[in-house]
Amino acid sequence: MLKLALALARKDLSLALRGAGLVQSILLGLLLVFMFSLSQKTGSLASGQMAAAIFWLSSLFCQTLVFNMLFAFEETQGARTCLLLSPAPVTDIFLGKALAGFVLIFLAQILFFPAIIVFLGQTVSQSWPMGLLMLFLADTGLACLGALLGALSQGQTARESLLSLLVFPLLAPLLLAAISVFAAVFGEQAGEDPTSWIGFSAAFDAIFLAIALMLFRFVYTGED
Amino acid sequence: MSLKQILPALLALAGGLLLAAGWWLIFMYAPTEAIMGAIQKIFYIHLPLSWWALFSFFLVFLCSVAYLVRPGEHLDRIARSCAEIGVLLTTLTLVTGMLWGRKAWGVWWTWDPRLTTALIMWFIYTAYLLLGGLNLSEQRRRMVRAVVGIVAFADVPLVFLSARLWRSIHPAVFANESGGLEPEMKLVALFSVLAMGFFWLGLVLVRCQQLKSQDRIEDLLSTEQNREEQTEQL
Amino acid sequence: MITLKHVSKSFASRLLFRDVTASFASGAVHLILGRNGSGKSTLLRLIGGLSRVTSGSIVFAREDARIGYLGHATFLYPNLTAYENLAFWQKAYGQSAQEQAILKMLAHVGLTPFAHSRVGVFSRGMAQRLSLARVLLLRPDIYLLDEPETGLDKTSRVLLQDEILKARADNACILWVSHLAEGQSLADSICTVQKKTLVCRQAQPQVQIETGGRTKDAQKGDEQC
Repeated sequence: MLKLALALARKDLSLALRGAGLVQSILLGLLLVFMFSLSQKTGSLASGQMAAAIFWLSSLFCQTLVFNMLFAFEETQGARTCLLLSPAPVTDIFLGKALAGFVLIFLAQILFFPAIIVFLGQTVSQSWPMGLLMLFLADTGLACLGALLGALSQGQTARESLLSLLVFPLLAPLLLAAISVFAAVFGEQAGEDPTSWIGFSAAFDAIFLAIALMLFRFVYTGED
Repeated sequence: MSLKQILPALLALAGGLLLAAGWWLIFMYAPTEAIMGAIQKIFYIHLPLSWWALFSFFLVFLCSVAYLVRPGEHLDRIARSCAEIGVLLTTLTLVTGMLWGRKAWGVWWTWDPRLTTALIMWFIYTAYLLLGGLNLSEQRRRMVRAVVGIVAFADVPLVFLSARLWRSIHPAVFANESGGLEPEMKLVALFSVLAMGFFWLGLVLVRCQQLKSQDRIEDLLSTEQNREEQTEQL
Repeated sequence: MITLKHVSKSFASRLLFRDVTASFASGAVHLILGRNGSGKSTLLRLIGGLSRVTSGSIVFAREDARIGYLGHATFLYPNLTAYENLAFWQKAYGQSAQEQAILKMLAHVGLTPFAHSRVGVFSRGMAQRLSLARVLLLRPDIYLLDEPETGLDKTSRVLLQDEILKARADNACILWVSHLAEGQSLADSICTVQKKTLVCRQAQPQVQIETGGRTKDAQKGDEQC
């Protein structure tokens, strides 16, 4: 049970950390943060909400690149065929990919966060535990949809743009939640109780986890 | 010509006539709104467009589920036609909505849950249509479309909910548009929805038939190619 | 034992198989012949469940039969070492990683010096041998071999044939797509893909007597594993 998922996640992580893949997505994210810092006037600070939006945009770009990379691993020498022949259920592949993606996005965010603080002049308020919970929930959602739709790129090259076209709007609700909670973390006065956003995100994750577990086997097949 | 062939044309014609009648009702029968004046009339176009757009996407969802349960080419064709028409109607919904907003609220765009939902839906289903360009086997492309059709529709209520939560952070400046409607107004609105429904069904059927013909032509072409290949081999 | 019942397969409008009914017994080598593009590989993919049949059904005698697939692609990760590749596939197929078994298998296919080199630098022949090691390590009940001899040198081909005979003795079902003349002499049945169907005939494995002793050795060897 879940043996394949764990083996796959571990293998993917070691592959991702070995190659340039993760570095590339982290650099893109950091670059985004830096570029946005250009939009500030000298002497003025970015609002918390803006900083939060930039943080999550960086994460989103990172997510697309990460999942493209994770699924490309299985295509270079046709390893997908053998994964599917494994006696383990196909959902294990989904779980493995989602887990690996979650960890990689999280690793990238560990670097994005201080970059936001430094380049956009933010301070962390007392509501950081809430932010941590939100981070977990949002990353789960990113990993879920990424692993489900990243499989679309199977047998394809250079389809990153289509993946982001699909994933970005689908993730919009979750991003709104993440941005507003993070705005509060960056000290913005929140009008809405962030707990309702947390609840909403949990519901989002639950719905898409269930859908992904049901539908993954239709997306990830041996056919080209 | 069989009924099946002329049905779409008949429906479109009926829809057109009914829509024309609707226009007459809108300007002659329905009372002019006291505050907004004539601009309020756009509502009678906007509402049916958005309702049928949403219904199209709902059908995409139903066909996608049905396709996964029991694959059939026709289900994919219906889903595809509905998505195309849905995107078209959503585009028009957005345009009419913006015109309304400009006049009623003084801005082209605002963070209204309904507007936001429509816009995000438009993005998602346009991407859905782009899936047709993927270089995949026909069978797999249908499967992928079905999966995305389901995921996309599951997202719609979540988008709406989040947009509403989001707005409550920003002060709600604008009053809700569909406040109190006069009974005559309601009647005209309903009539418009019905007229648009005929037109919508006609469009969907035409598109289905076109896609069917397209599939058939491609089928014939590839069979012909196969035959040539085989004669070459022999 | 694998049974195909009225199996048809088409890609879009292109029909590849029409109403194929056949059965492949366990403990036997089934050689599959056919022209390029006749659908030999597709047949293997159908049996492996990688490609869905358009109609008909494929039934296995055992539900939980393990399938080993050796094809044109090597199914290896170029950025992992030979050892890591084998260790991953062992775990991915639900077995616990056994270091000794992996090292022994690497020695068996003559890759011990390269156990900790990246597979990306391997030659085609080495990669194919590692691929063979992967399949053997999983000890499948069903072997789907799609021209496995491609890129193998003489010694490795002998090794491959030995392993096929061992597997047969282990009561595995072996489907072997091959151009090799040796294939004909090992096969228990020869199936030809022609006119969108499969024509099978019994064959006399000529190496049967000769391999009798070898097979026993092989079994002994297996027990040591």
